[in-house]
Amino acid sequence: MKKPPHNSPIFTRYDLNVEDRHHQGARKVSSDLLLQRVADSLVTGDEDETCMAVSQALNAHKPLEIINESLIPGMQEVGRLWDLGNYFLPQVILSSDAMIAGITLCEEEMGHSMERKAKVVTHTAEGDIHDIGMQIVNALLRAGGFDVISLGADVPIEEVVDACRIHRPVMLTGTALMTTTMTAFPRIAMRLKESGLDIPFVCGGGALSEEFVTSFELGIWGSDAAQAASMAEDALSGLDWRQLRAKWNG
Amino acid sequence: MKLTDSMAYSNPQEMMFGFAQKPVTTRRGLVIGGGSVIAEIVPHPRPGSEKTLHTLLREFERANGDALERCVDIGTPNLVLENEHVFQMTDDAHWGREIAALSIRQLDEFAEQYGLKAAYRATIADLRKPDMVNIRDSERTSKVLEAFDACAEYADILSIESIGGKEIFDHCIIRNDITGMLFAQGVLGSRDMAWLWPQIVEIADKHGSIAGGDTDCSQANTAMFMAGGFTGKALSHSLAALSRAMAVGNSLVAYECGASGPGKDCAYENPIIKAITGLPMSMEGKSCACAHSSLCGNVMAAVCDLWSNEAVEYHRMFGGSTSAVFSEILSYDVASMNTAIQLGYQREYQACMVASDRYRSLQGFILSPDNAWAIGKAVVDNNQSYYARTLAAALTCGELMLADPQLYFTSYEKESLAGYMTELEKLPQEEEDFIDLCLHKYAQVKGFLPQAYGL
Amino acid sequence: MKRRLAIALDLGTSGFRAQALDLASSEVISTVITTRHPLPGANVIDHLHFALELGVESARDLMLQAINQLLQRLQVSLGDVVRLAVCGNPTQLSLLQGMEIRDLAYAGSRKLHTLGVTAPERTASVYSAAALPGLALSSNCDILIPPAIHDQVGADALALIIQSGIRDCSETSIAIDYGTNAEMALFHQGHFYTGSASAGPALEGQHISCGSLAMPGTITDLKMEGPYHRLQVLDEEMLPATGALIDLRLAGELVESSDREAISITGTGVIAALDQALSDGIITPPNIHTIDGQLHFGHKIYLNETDLGEAGKAIGAIRAGYVTLALEAGIVPSEIQTAYLAGASGTYVDARKSGRLGLIPPAVHRVMQVGNTSLAMARELALTPSRLDEMSDLARALRHNHTLFAKSKSFAKLFLLELSRWTEGMPTTTYREMLQRFNLPDLPPMDSIAEIVQTVQRDIDVTGKHGLKTLHSIGKTVELQLQGCHSCLKCIQTCPTQAITIDTTSQPATISMAHALCNGVACRRCEPVCEPKVFHLNAFFNPARVAVSEEA
Repeated sequence: MKKPPHNSPIFTRYDLNVEDRHHQGARKVSSDLLLQRVADSLVTGDEDETCMAVSQALNAHKPLEIINESLIPGMQEVGRLWDLGNYFLPQVILSSDAMIAGITLCEEEMGHSMERKAKVVTHTAEGDIHDIGMQIVNALLRAGGFDVISLGADVPIEEVVDACRIHRPVMLTGTALMTTTMTAFPRIAMRLKESGLDIPFVCGGGALSEEFVTSFELGIWGSDAAQAASMAEDALSGLDWRQLRAKWNG
Repeated sequence: MKLTDSMAYSNPQEMMFGFAQKPVTTRRGLVIGGGSVIAEIVPHPRPGSEKTLHTLLREFERANGDALERCVDIGTPNLVLENEHVFQMTDDAHWGREIAALSIRQLDEFAEQYGLKAAYRATIADLRKPDMVNIRDSERTSKVLEAFDACAEYADILSIESIGGKEIFDHCIIRNDITGMLFAQGVLGSRDMAWLWPQIVEIADKHGSIAGGDTDCSQANTAMFMAGGFTGKALSHSLAALSRAMAVGNSLVAYECGASGPGKDCAYENPIIKAITGLPMSMEGKSCACAHSSLCGNVMAAVCDLWSNEAVEYHRMFGGSTSAVFSEILSYDVASMNTAIQLGYQREYQACMVASDRYRSLQGFILSPDNAWAIGKAVVDNNQSYYARTLAAALTCGELMLADPQLYFTSYEKESLAGYMTELEKLPQEEEDFIDLCLHKYAQVKGFLPQAYGL
Repeated sequence: MKRRLAIALDLGTSGFRAQALDLASSEVISTVITTRHPLPGANVIDHLHFALELGVESARDLMLQAINQLLQRLQVSLGDVVRLAVCGNPTQLSLLQGMEIRDLAYAGSRKLHTLGVTAPERTASVYSAAALPGLALSSNCDILIPPAIHDQVGADALALIIQSGIRDCSETSIAIDYGTNAEMALFHQGHFYTGSASAGPALEGQHISCGSLAMPGTITDLKMEGPYHRLQVLDEEMLPATGALIDLRLAGELVESSDREAISITGTGVIAALDQALSDGIITPPNIHTIDGQLHFGHKIYLNETDLGEAGKAIGAIRAGYVTLALEAGIVPSEIQTAYLAGASGTYVDARKSGRLGLIPPAVHRVMQVGNTSLAMARELALTPSRLDEMSDLARALRHNHTLFAKSKSFAKLFLLELSRWTEGMPTTTYREMLQRFNLPDLPPMDSIAEIVQTVQRDIDVTGKHGLKTLHSIGKTVELQLQGCHSCLKCIQTCPTQAITIDTTSQPATISMAHALCNGVACRRCEPVCEPKVFHLNAFFNPARVAVSEEA
């Protein structure tokens, strides 16, 4: 019996595709050895090694080149591997730290900060010191190319509002584990509204429910830290808080 | 009883859709497997319509009528109409009889008015839940046989999807336990068939009806359903393919007991059964997507005699009722096959259908005619016992899959297949040793009653 | 001669327990436990939140009322009680005393500074009942309140150390109470290192779809029996008894039923099920590979993937906790040799199963299951008030080696790994690689535990001649007729804990709210869904404004 040639377009074995992807490591990002080494050490999440590779690369490449052609694409590879389920959150955070360290070296060389996508202000609610959630959000936003202004934990309302006034971020995030502290969020939202700052305010963490966060203006509920970067991209592309809420909540 | 020891077809190239070695003629003169493929439409009543006999009759009258009407509207020459019993039709034989009588009246009206040649298949519901009753000796067992008797009066063809061994199968499939599945399908299912089918054949003969055949739907099709498509994770496709092959050991018994075909379609074992028996077989594939998805939509038609939609619930669609719509889909499916026969392109058309699915999935691969034939050969060559031939079917199925370099496995499927093969290879030689092993291993499975299988 | 009696009272986050004692014979007369806390919510933060919103006095009133309900069921003459000894965490003890609680409600010092709050010294105190009004005791009865070590770690942690016997252990050892705030104390070369992990209530059986605290009818364990599992269910005496035979993989029918019907699953049952399902490959976090994605325990009792996540986070917090304590002590977790498990979960749990899940440090070879140490402590205080001084001395000694996990970088990294293990399915090999990368000590799989000593048969070992009584309905149920309510039932449908019921025969309808069932004032899902906007949750808690109907 006649058989069609191998790989004929009769069907696609998606099961094999998926499996292939699961076995994939990071793809090559540069043909330049020095730049590829930077990316490799970033992908493994080795901060010291990344810094060494960046220092070496600076002998032959412009800082911006290193950022754009190895650090950022390397981080994109990490994100891709995470999406595929081959990488896990702690690895993404290590790589994000390595990337930031590498970028800092490049910035020192340039004598000024690189241009980032946009600013995002993050904080943990006043009275709360549980900031693991915020640390994850910070790492993922940085990995996504955002300039993260992290105010830390136990941040008074005034300080959050001031930071928004000064930095004009595309998005503000707040995390809280203790329900006693979450009442700060609607008050921050109110103060921002009063100041004419209609900044999307993504709130997440163990204490919060969707019902609570969507009960005040500006509030968008973040159910998972992994959403932060995509939400920031949406805010950057011009979605206002209502549109963000419509997209991510409900 | 001597188990089948030879193949009806001496090689797989002889097998073709529309042609059976031993065609069957119904009492209304419809020839099945005699040179053309016939559509088999199976409408299913909506839930709630079984409240009273009156409402159920009304439902079938509409569903059957819509199918017949559509056939006339588009010029379908022949049709088999199948009604798969809902619980009440078997539980109260009177219901089954009334519905069979109604269906036959409808068939005869269309025959008279338009000359549409059709047959009616009544598929009795196997109410004998093995985890609840002794399947050989219970009120439900009597009811099943009574329903056969009541319907045989009218129906052209009688069938059942018997469920012997299902209590063990259900227990084992969720544990990926192939030993137990082999026991359920190969030993328990076969022994139940050998007990049940002579009685069905006797009833059919008494009434001049045809004892069609059986299918291992409750087991093999459960496996296929659980394995799902490429993204399915509930069950390894390797295991589903092996279960499919093991279904043969079981369903073959019905024909050894005197069933003459057309075989019932739902467990997809029929390409293998046809290779062994040469009897006409009903099959299903793409046009039963209304009932469940499969990875072998085209290849299943390669050697079919009837082409079925498995079952479609009666509802309205833009193009008419589901019953009408699926009659039309099946009609055109078989029209192309019959055209191929008329133009002498049947080999080419068969090649297209096989090549479409041969390497799409493990199941499509083993149901391709050549592989189906090879599995059948292993079955007849190992006819020492039900156990021996079912084990041979499974091992051959696994070996065929591993031997073809064009058939790709995910590593999960490959590893799981290797595991199942190792387990199968370690099983005892003799049926009695295997039975001892299983009686011990599954003694505690809820509802398992060895004496219900004569053990 | 008049009998002189004392009462021991354990105020747990998830429920209260009381015992009446005969001072002459030092014997337990009777025991009463509640199945929940009278305040809305399931953890101390919920209780604090309530007190912040409604006032400490309101919270205290509700607690006093529940305590009095408990006392009255002890079947002794309360007039004969000369002493009440209380044990519990700082939140419960502060609420009982009507003390400052804002330092407990807010962990951040900046917030506290803004509010002008200075944390009170939570030292040991002895009051006369007159000084602590509201209790159904005679005014000259003494009330003993033990001290706290630090914020969330209080008398219950002291009790854990004193009552578990860990101080007599010559090896490096750890005592853990598998509670909502899992207190733990590491004992190494004569020094204690303490901490408290916010594990959440999953290991006690709460916040689990079909879960509850340990009480008669709860599943506490399962044992392999052929291809099935035999349930172990608590009987009326809180002793594990044989229950039905079930198939974990299948919903619906029991394989073999039993007189002892299970009504819910408790934390140790969850641990047993996870251990079994993980070793059988039915679970690879975060997924449950059954047809419906649930593990089944017969009729209507199941665990789903959300429950798996909740339990996983609780296990993760405890694991991150003991590793952090080891680091504080300058050792690696594999140096911990003995583990003392306390609380109901620590008593009923199969230590080998909990060890395999990571709830016990990996090289522990001896496990002591010591029961409810908090109630035992209260009992000893009631009998021997001078032990209050011992507790104060211990509290002072421990203060310096207390770790606030929320501020520990190691804890954060460990918890992140645990989060990844349970919610992303990070494999063990990657997990251990990451430990290396984070410069954290390795966590090898659990060695086999050589010795398990159950010093008690049940979490409350001696229940007295009157036995144990369970008080199911505690707290108030408040009925309100809300003007404008048109019975849309949204509040009832939205309530996740079925705390709200309605009687539509009145006009407008009468809405009832059972305080103890309420999920807490932070939940508040009932308020925004009210169509006419007349439902105000706080109104149900403010007795001054409403007619109160008390449930027996």
